Amino acid sequence: MYRYDAIDAEMLADRTQEFREQCARRLAGEITEDQFKPIRLMNGLYLQLHAYMLRIAIPYGALNAEKLRKLAFIVRTYDKGYGHFTTRTNLQLHWIKLRDAPDILEHLAQVGMHAIQTSGNDIRNVTADPHAGATADEVDDPRIWAEAIRQWSTFHPEFSFLPRKFKIALTASPADRAATKVYDIGLRLHRSDDGELGFEVLVGGGLGRTPYLGATIRKHLPVKSLLSYLQAILRVYNRHGRRDNIWKARIKVLVASLGAEAFAREVEAEWEASDAAHVDLPDTELARIRAAFAPRGFARLAARSAAFEAAKADPAFARFVRRNVKAHKIPGYAIVDVSLKEPGETPGDCTADQMEAVADLAERYSLDEARVSYDQNLILPHVKLDDVPAVWKALGAAGLATPNRGLVTDIIACPGLDYCALANARAIPIAQAIARRFADPARAEAVGELGVRISGCINACGHHHVGAIGILGVDKKGEEFYQVSLGGSPEADAALGQILGPALPADKVAGAVEEMVEVYLRERQGQERFIDTFRRTGLAPFKEAVYADAH
Amino acid sequence: MPTLIRWTGQRAEAAEDPFTNVADETPTPRGDVIVSLQRFQAEGRRLLAEGRKVGVRIESNEAVEDIADDLPQLAVVALVFPKFRHGQAYSSARILRERYGYQGEVRAVGDVLREQARFMIRCGVDAFEPADGAAPQDLTHVAFRFRHVYQRAADGREPAFVERQAS
Amino acid sequence: MKALTGNRLDDGEAVFLGREGGWVERFAEARLFEDEAAAMAAEAHAKTELTRVVDPYLIEVIAADAGHAPLSFRERVRALGPTNKPEHGKKTEGGEAIEALLHAHGAARSKGRIDLIRRK
Repeated sequence: MYRYDAIDAEMLADRTQEFREQCARRLAGEITEDQFKPIRLMNGLYLQLHAYMLRIAIPYGALNAEKLRKLAFIVRTYDKGYGHFTTRTNLQLHWIKLRDAPDILEHLAQVGMHAIQTSGNDIRNVTADPHAGATADEVDDPRIWAEAIRQWSTFHPEFSFLPRKFKIALTASPADRAATKVYDIGLRLHRSDDGELGFEVLVGGGLGRTPYLGATIRKHLPVKSLLSYLQAILRVYNRHGRRDNIWKARIKVLVASLGAEAFAREVEAEWEASDAAHVDLPDTELARIRAAFAPRGFARLAARSAAFEAAKADPAFARFVRRNVKAHKIPGYAIVDVSLKEPGETPGDCTADQMEAVADLAERYSLDEARVSYDQNLILPHVKLDDVPAVWKALGAAGLATPNRGLVTDIIACPGLDYCALANARAIPIAQAIARRFADPARAEAVGELGVRISGCINACGHHHVGAIGILGVDKKGEEFYQVSLGGSPEADAALGQILGPALPADKVAGAVEEMVEVYLRERQGQERFIDTFRRTGLAPFKEAVYADAH
Repeated sequence: MPTLIRWTGQRAEAAEDPFTNVADETPTPRGDVIVSLQRFQAEGRRLLAEGRKVGVRIESNEAVEDIADDLPQLAVVALVFPKFRHGQAYSSARILRERYGYQGEVRAVGDVLREQARFMIRCGVDAFEPADGAAPQDLTHVAFRFRHVYQRAADGREPAFVERQAS
Repeated sequence: MKALTGNRLDDGEAVFLGREGGWVERFAEARLFEDEAAAMAAEAHAKTELTRVVDPYLIEVIAADAGHAPLSFRERVRALGPTNKPEHGKKTEGGEAIEALLHAHGAARSKGRIDLIRRK
């Protein structure tokens, strides 16, 4: 894991001091809210329905025991004892006071954490495959490049006042666990035919009011040119992105209006006119970052663990293994999913006690690493197969062992109208109602892989566009209604969902999901997942079932 | 003359401003002037031939490329921030300094606030017409808030990865 | 009927202009404006105060069974607290006024909020 050196630490200290001064000026009335707001946002501080919300950055989802324990301390001391993990692998605290924010940033800085650029019209937290460094199917560790981008983009003097927010995601695997096709820039690591490591560069993906899948503007960019090329893209966007209309200000609109090819030519021209050597990292720095992520501490183990196999005699453990334990590239190890989706709970929420439980497990059983995944769950990436039974028991005691990774109860939901000033409807109660219907783990497993995603407004923070079942909360004459879409996917086979029919009232949504699951179970052929059946049958049978008794 | 603050590279200082900002509809007064891009394209030759110092004002939707060839003759390029959150001028400043090697004054005008001065200086701005009554010492304070920078820009500061190589 | 609301600058708490002129945390203590002009004057004044309340705006209020309630669902969530955590937020205080809010029905969007979004 990358550890902050003295320079990184001084960056945070200076930033904390700067924000302390800016906060004091605001509280004393020396600057207006209009002038303070972008400053506050660049430090991840939103004003929401009930209080300020602080969005703490977790760069490429990487955590360790020290960070988790500090987060537990912060949520106990300054919040109401819990936090919420987001689809951007950040942690949101919903009950923050502005006057406490500088102290919170100071605490975070002590463990190399911050809330820098988690909001505002700047380059946001860079996300990457949460299985990085643990999966056999990656060509390189994407965290190396995510860390390089993190540093380059932090306090970037040219790109801190963009037309709108800017998000970058990386994957190094053919299976895309970072949703790179729906990002402003998606970077896909690969090797060219002659073995050179490079990026396929996609631009202009995004969800929200007008969802787009990203277009490839460059099939192969040698890795050493990453930052200079990103500078070219960002500069074209900074100069030409629209600033007259907040709904047309993302780069996806610029790419769509120019056309991907014309946009690519603009970027190439800008790149060629610039001095790449001025921007790109020297080999020494790349080597330094790479060394931070080199595998260390792994034992030489047999591929098969007798203890692990024996424990599967317990059907509950066997189910946990089927759903929440993934293959690791090192023999004798496994990747373990930690579920923040216990049916009936708020998806993605994590109490201080749970954070400490995961911290202990990470330290003892996972080479002191934990990750946040973009589906609002956690991961212990390096667990010995021998230890998985003990880890499972400990997770169970903390309410973190629901065996539902990827299932219908592994719902992604934004905070919605319960917390968020932008929302039109609540998302959390809908998630809770659906999850309760499928709370029986056998039933959930029988249904199989099914991504339910719920957003409380068109900003789509719940990623409903790429849900196999997507649910969008809308306000119809002051009442909460929900528009259902089917067939979305965030993965390598990315697709945007299709609207099913008229919006449903809140109390009909969970029932509609059940009806659609019944249709799937009836129609499925062979090993089809929900999305496969949908792709074969189309909307018709689902639409018929849900709207049969027209409300 | 409106308040002008100059950045020396070490600190911000109050400065006399010999330039008049001339609006398009106004006749040009005597002395040094800053005019719009459009006006410069129409009258620039004549103004320079009159022996005055001339500056060009670049709006946020205008391209510094359009004055690239004239830069050796221009004493000032004034970059407009229509609202402080309109960041096009940061790119314009860097292009002037890093691509064209412009040596004259790059002046930030419009909604220029002290909290953004640090970014402006890093992008190569060396003169300010502040909109918030900021004094030179306010800008000096803001400019040095950070002991390190992560990336190269137009100010010549060594980025962190170079510092690391040295140690 | 209207009330004036905003979020307190230093801690973000949802507050309402109270009957005595200060800002109160309980909707039950909010000043209710029958007169449109008085409401707008209060809003205009609140906007000039830089250090008390952020982005004040007017909301529609209706008569509920045992008191008054904001017309829009969103404002009732602000007045009560999040519905997914019964132990968090203003509703934990309980009592008649909270009951009135919990059982109120509304049928229109909060006009104040629409204006706020447009201003951005």
